[in-house]
Amino acid sequence: MDELKNLYRYRQLIAALTARDLKARYRGSILGFFWSLANPLLLLGIYTLAFTKFFPSTVVRPYPLFLFTGILPWTFFAAAVLESTSSISTNAALIKKVMFPAEALPLVVVFSHLVHFALAIPILLLALGIYVFLGQATISATILLVPVLMLFQTVFVAGICMVISSAAVLLRDLRDIVANLMTLGFFLTPIIYLIDRIDSRLWRALLRLNPMTPFVVAYQDVIFFGHLPGAADTFLIVAYSLVALGAGLLVFDRLRDTLAEAI
Amino acid sequence: MSYAIALDRVSKSYRLWGRRSQFATLKSALLRRDLKLSPEATVPAVKDVSFAVDKGEAFGIVGRNGSGKSTLLKLISGILKPTTGRVTVNGRIAALIELGAGFHPEITGRENIYINGIMLGLSRREIDARFERIVEFSGIRDFIDQPVKTYSSGMYVRLGFAVAVHVDPDILLIDEVLSVGDEEFSAKCIAKIQEMKYRGVTLVFVTHQLDQVRNLCDRALWLDHGEAVQIGDPVRVVDAYLQQVAAPEARRDAAPPAGETPARPSDEEERFGSGEVVLKRVALVDHKGRELVALGAGSAVAIEMDIEVRVPQDDFVFGLGIYHADGACVYGTNTDLEGFAPERLEAGGRVRFVMPSLDLVAGQYRVDAAIHTRNGRSFDYRRGVLRFVVGSRVHDTGVYRPKHTWQFEGGIAFKSMEKPAVPAQIAEAIESAKKKR
Repeated sequence: MDELKNLYRYRQLIAALTARDLKARYRGSILGFFWSLANPLLLLGIYTLAFTKFFPSTVVRPYPLFLFTGILPWTFFAAAVLESTSSISTNAALIKKVMFPAEALPLVVVFSHLVHFALAIPILLLALGIYVFLGQATISATILLVPVLMLFQTVFVAGICMVISSAAVLLRDLRDIVANLMTLGFFLTPIIYLIDRIDSRLWRALLRLNPMTPFVVAYQDVIFFGHLPGAADTFLIVAYSLVALGAGLLVFDRLRDTLAEAI
Repeated sequence: MSYAIALDRVSKSYRLWGRRSQFATLKSALLRRDLKLSPEATVPAVKDVSFAVDKGEAFGIVGRNGSGKSTLLKLISGILKPTTGRVTVNGRIAALIELGAGFHPEITGRENIYINGIMLGLSRREIDARFERIVEFSGIRDFIDQPVKTYSSGMYVRLGFAVAVHVDPDILLIDEVLSVGDEEFSAKCIAKIQEMKYRGVTLVFVTHQLDQVRNLCDRALWLDHGEAVQIGDPVRVVDAYLQQVAAPEARRDAAPPAGETPARPSDEEERFGSGEVVLKRVALVDHKGRELVALGAGSAVAIEMDIEVRVPQDDFVFGLGIYHADGACVYGTNTDLEGFAPERLEAGGRVRFVMPSLDLVAGQYRVDAAIHTRNGRSFDYRRGVLRFVVGSRVHDTGVYRPKHTWQFEGGIAFKSMEKPAVPAQIAEAIESAKKKR
């Protein structure tokens, strides 16, 4: 509980650093924020091409909208976790030379990627609107649950990032391990395929061991299909979020004192 | 709670980070919540140090490079945790350990002031109230809306210092930051620090500028190899420290890395030591024993030292150093380096350092002379005890003129010189010989 209180105490610092991060990132670049969308849009384009033209096997229509719904939360997760592996070491000067709450660093990463995610939502809504206008999709009130999902996902990502960022200081290999896991994770999360189309009950259960699965499925439920997430997924979302947060606080607290000399 | 800082038997060991130990470290940190330190894998940086600093006191820490001063400051600030012992602090701390450490190069000075201020514990509103004063103090108003990456290192430091001192801390920790920046800004910083001291802010200094410790501090601590050697009156502590450090041998060990302590050529003679043995007279003499202050390049000279022994010694070293006026050491040696094993120094006497030919280029030089023990404790150390000028007709450059001639073969022709080609030092010698007659 003390750790949570501390985080609240540092809210101004985290907000200021997140703003600095975003400003510094796009200062001097012309397209600015749209670069953060470039990767999901490229993925979207190439998978749409592959699965509707080269290898037309999809049963989900409109496929691009389905993909977009899954790719955005995945990108938020993957980009934040990957960046958190170096969030502390790139700010070594702060940890070593200033009295600085190290836990702010992974959270700054999480929040700046959350901002990217949030800024992409209107574009997703625009795409949805176009398909609705074309009569190929429907919009439902369940979409109002998106902020709730984002809240839980942020808690989940923050927990993971706190574990990864502090452990990566002592174990540099973690960066490469995480990078590879993210590549695998993309395919082990039902983003380019629909989980309900998998026949094996066992495989569906195994996929849900991947904590990102219930999140992505829930986003697809409320945005694309327009119905409430299943009870199992809802339970898993809450559980994974709380477990990740608990683990993040615990691990970070245990490693905090060693960070300044280990960097 | 009259004290601001209290250290109770504080020790700090750094773990050596090897490739293999990485995973073990992570595991032990996670499981035991601390780093399990095995003796062969640690370096002690601070050993069993205890002291208290009263509220409003100015406390200086001196010591060689690597003696643990900065570690001690980081322990006080809470950046590092002690391996054993306890650090207690009453009040808001601001640490000037590296100025502008939190600056981000891509954003403007204005934005960095806010972020730096928040990092130092101010709220946005508190910074609003101080913003004008910070900009005023930093003296870089014209550049405040430029990205910090365009700043010179001096501007960087100015801004960093300006933010840090306007945090209004109860305790200010300062690590060797006043030596950066130009004279004007340094003076401004010192004035600001004096003002803070007057207002009752507790100050802890780490510096190599010993006159700052003598002038600003109420008490000082001398740290050597992580241990507290002496705590007390700053003048005494600094003198004791100088005695040990200034002996040539010790100074060689502690040769500071470039840029840390600029050598400051000083014009006055500096003298310190225990006085058990003293250098009564140090003189540069010619072959007939007459004192010289100016000589021709390549002259035969000797440095004479008259010794007075007040307490007989078994361990003694005579040392000499010749320095160019710009501070560069031309040559230094002592009897210990050259293999003289001391036996007994009982009565007074004369030491003569004979140089058949002092092959220096024209310029001004000074001599340091010292008597000290083999481990560097000074009996008498006289810096700049002797000054002399070397003259030459040839305007060659550098400090050392090797004996030389020019030889030409083949189709190389020079016009014949007006005078017979007498090497300059020979001509000088002839002239000085003429004068003697």
